[in-house]
Parts: sequence; C-alpha cells; structure tokens
Amino acid sequence: MGHGKYIDPFKAGDSLGLRPRNDNVTPSEASVSHHRVKAGEVLNLEYVVLPGESKDIDITIDLVGPGAEAHIKALYLCKADEKVNFHILMHHRAPGCRSIQLINGIAGGQAQVSFRGTIVVAPDAQQTEAYQENHNIVLTDTAKVDTRPQLEIYADDVKCSHGATVGQLNADELFYMRSRGVPEAEARTLQMLSFLSPVVPAGREEEIERVLRSYAE
Amino acid sequence: MLDIINLHAKIGDKEILKGINLHIGPGEVHAVMGPNGAGKSTLSAVLTGRPDYEVMEGSILYKGEDLLAKTPEERAWAGLFLSFQYPIEIPGVTITAFMKAAVNAKRKAQGLPELKTADFLKLMKQKMALVQMKPEFAKREVNVGFSGGEKKRNEIFQMALLEPDLSILDETDSGLDVDALKIVADGVNTLRSPQKSAIIITHYHKLLEYVQPDVVHVLKAGRIVKTGGRELIDAIESQGFDQF
Repeated sequence: MGHGKYIDPFKAGDSLGLRPRNDNVTPSEASVSHHRVKAGEVLNLEYVVLPGESKDIDITIDLVGPGAEAHIKALYLCKADEKVNFHILMHHRAPGCRSIQLINGIAGGQAQVSFRGTIVVAPDAQQTEAYQENHNIVLTDTAKVDTRPQLEIYADDVKCSHGATVGQLNADELFYMRSRGVPEAEARTLQMLSFLSPVVPAGREEEIERVLRSYAE
Repeated sequence: MLDIINLHAKIGDKEILKGINLHIGPGEVHAVMGPNGAGKSTLSAVLTGRPDYEVMEGSILYKGEDLLAKTPEERAWAGLFLSFQYPIEIPGVTITAFMKAAVNAKRKAQGLPELKTADFLKLMKQKMALVQMKPEFAKREVNVGFSGGEKKRNEIFQMALLEPDLSILDETDSGLDVDALKIVADGVNTLRSPQKSAIIITHYHKLLEYVQPDVVHVLKAGRIVKTGGRELIDAIESQGFDQF
C-alpha cells in the first residue's frame, strides 16, 4: 500500500518531532468539503498544495451505501512560512466499503503542517477495508510537522491500517548519487520526486517536477 | 594519479586510519588487503568524501590537486569512482534516470554538451551488455530487489558508463558466486588501460585471481604494514594476516 521510499526517521526527542497544532494560525484559504458516497459509487479526490500556498483542507466523507469507495491522494510542498492543515474524517457506515488515503508532503523553511486523519468504522460496516498513510519529509530545523492518524473501529470483520512518518531525505541515497557525480541539488530533486510520485495526479508530473527543481535550488 | 600522505582519519571519536601512505601511478592496479576492521572501507570512504568521516591529519593529492577540498560530486567529475561494498537502494529512481543525471553532470563539468536521450540509451545498452545485465534493468529502480550479484554488476556497469580514471573496488567480490565473479572481473579487465588506475580492496584473494594487481598492500590496524607483489597474495592465502 505505502510507497517504499526510504526516509531517515527522526527519533523521539528530536527538535523536529511532534508539536501541538497551533490553533492561532489563520490559513489564507480553506477548502471544506463533505461527500456522501452511495452504494457502488467511487469518489476520487486529489489535492496539490504548492509552495507559497497556505491551505486548510477539511474533508468529511460518509460511505453510506454497501460497496462505496473513496480514494484520497494529496501532496503538499512548502518552502517558506506556509501553514497547511489536513483534517480528514472518513466514516464507514455501510458494509463492504473501501477507503484509501495517501498524503505525502515536504516541509521546508518555517512551514507548519498538521495532519489529523480519523477513520471511523461503524458497527454495521463489516468487511470494511480502510487504509490511511501520511508521510512527511522535513528539510529544515524550523519546519514543523505534526501528524496524528486515528482509527475508531466498532465492527469486527475489517481490514484497516494507518501509518505516519516524519523524516529527512535519506543520507545514504544522497551520498551514493553524489559519488556518481549527481550534483547535490539534483540528487535531492530525484529523491523528492520519487517520494512524491505516488501522490502526483496523472498529467501533472511535469509541472510538479518543474516546481521541485526550482524548489531544490 | 594518487598520492596519499600520512593520512589519519576517524569516525566519531574512533581513529581508524593511523598514517596511510600510498602512491598509485597511471595504469597501475593496487590491491589493498587486510582483515576485517583494518580500515579498508574507511579508506574508500575518505577517498570519496563520505560525510561522517573526518580527516585529522595528512593529505591526498589526486592528479596533483587537493582531493579533500572537493565535494563527492566534484571528485566523480574528476574521474574518481567507488564501487560500493553495499550498494544503496534508491526506491522510486530508475537506473536510467540516475545514470543520465550522473553522465550529463560529468559532461557539463567537462564543458561538453548533454547527451541526447537516444545516444545515452544506446551507450547504456552497450555498457550493460558488458556485465551481462538484461536490458529491462534500465527501467528498474536502483538496486531495489536486486540480488547481491545483480547489485555488484550494477556497480561495474556504472563504472563502465562513467569511465573513471581511478576506480576503487570495495569488497566487490564479497557475496559473489564464481560466475558472477567472472562477469565482474571481465568487466573490470575490459576497462583497464595504461591511463586508468584502480584500487582493489578485499580481504580475500578470489577477485585477484582474475584481475591481476601490479602492487599488493597489506592494511592492518589503520596502517599499511607490508607492500609487495603478487607473492603477498599467496602468503596471505596460506598463512593469513597474523604474520604481518
């Protein structure tokens, strides 16, 4: 389910680690949406937050009919003092529904990113499949990422998983590429591209690559 | 080609290299042999500029220039290459993307134009054939899911593609079966020339049966304790490193 990109995880106590959400932040743009997905329907949501954008993305999804599906892919890329907040609430209310969430992003500068994701599986929602992954790379000492995935399961026949990581670009990969003559900025771009690739919407690969190249310089 | 003068290096608080002196001329192949923990891998790490290793004393001249003042990528552009003992996996990055970035960065540093994609792919195919890598590996993610032998062949393929002047083979023979060893050795031998030099680091004589060194050094406890010819390999094989 998750992408196999290796990142160097921070240890507990690292200065870049978890930090409470700053509720005084006033995001410049809010995106609040509520979706009801009925029997047999498939909902696809994609979000791209580019450098310079502060966003509050608030998504509530109710899977109300048997066999409903929801897919969320989101990408963020911050380099200055952006504030990006994800708040995702996924309700499995009917049996046999499926939800897949993948949110990957890179925080540089003094960016502040928070992720709150909750999956709630109702007692009737047997044969639920629900997955949620949030992976973050922090590039500077001053950027903050706070991620809290949560599961509330009230049914017994379910397949659920969630995972969250906060880390740095992998130093061994970086040295390996540099030892072959790949300049440091280019090596970092390749690493970031591969980290984000599972969440880049189809057709926007070149745009994201362009943004990343200017980002790595 | 390479002059190492009184090199002392440490990782963390631990001094590993305690005064290495080594001179390698153009076209020469030197074997550096030694038991585990002698400092063999530290030597290759310092030569390629790996972070975490600190040079405390001494100097390294490569083609007459101060090697230690260069970044890892500048060293590669100047023709230095390390075949890693444990090649790194890079999920999400294909061999083609990786090597195209490497080859073109080197060309740029030399004032040459970038290779056109078609020309690059053709060149890559030739070099892969040299180490019997199947063409589909071009699209694989770097070293991800490769067997030990495939990883080592991938190293020698990259070496063939980058055409270094000084290659360091760090335990390239470890974990290889005889067939893979021959393929790797053939690749290395093909790249030998009167201008190109190599350092073969190993604790084992296997690779040296196929790639004949001009000079053999014994590295022990951070110092070169003996230098000689091929007879040293036989001496090590029969009596180990304790005799030095």
